[in-house]
Amino acid sequence: MKKGDKFKNNFKVSRKIYDEFKMLSNDKNPLHTNRAFAKKYGFSGKVMHGNILGAFISYFVGEMLPAKNVVLLSQELNFLNPVYLNNTLSFEATVVDFYKSVSVYEFKLTFKKKGEKIIASGKVRIKVLG
Amino acid sequence: MENKIILKKVNNIFKDVLDDKKIKINEKTTASDVQDWDSLTHIQLVVAIEKFFKIKFTSSELIKFKNVGDMVSAISEKLK
Repeated sequence: MKKGDKFKNNFKVSRKIYDEFKMLSNDKNPLHTNRAFAKKYGFSGKVMHGNILGAFISYFVGEMLPAKNVVLLSQELNFLNPVYLNNTLSFEATVVDFYKSVSVYEFKLTFKKKGEKIIASGKVRIKVLG
Repeated sequence: MENKIILKKVNNIFKDVLDDKKIKINEKTTASDVQDWDSLTHIQLVVAIEKFFKIKFTSSELIKFKNVGDMVSAISEKLK
């Protein structure tokens, strides 16, 4: 991998993903589970858990990179716009730095909704083991 | 940049990475002197130092560092 390399994927926040994440996290906050509650605070429906995107990042690190011998070192994610059920997000990760001395890659990440609205942005650092 | 100033900046990086405001390193400090300075933390420290000073080490340079002082001297050389 080298600086500038890009990795892309589409992720759909399906009913299955929402239900499973809700069960896994045990986060049943009404913002995520009660439509009327979410609308009261200005959202157009139940807001999907932000850390569902964290799970998508886990897929990126574990399954999308050319090497499997990788470990996640750090992750930062800023949530800019809400995600709703059945939204499809286009994910892009770009290599922005490589620390050769310790085999660490830094990626800039973005999640966007159709129409190019940015949902979340952040960065992740991974180490190639061995 | 003087070694004394580099050491102070490296100390701040240690405090930040290890999330411990009480850390006080000196030129003789090694990993065994600092709680939580283990292999993964070491990687985070190297990345933070390279990023802060805008320098790059090689892996062979890293292996030669016996203490913080060696790293500070290497940083100083790279900043010249």
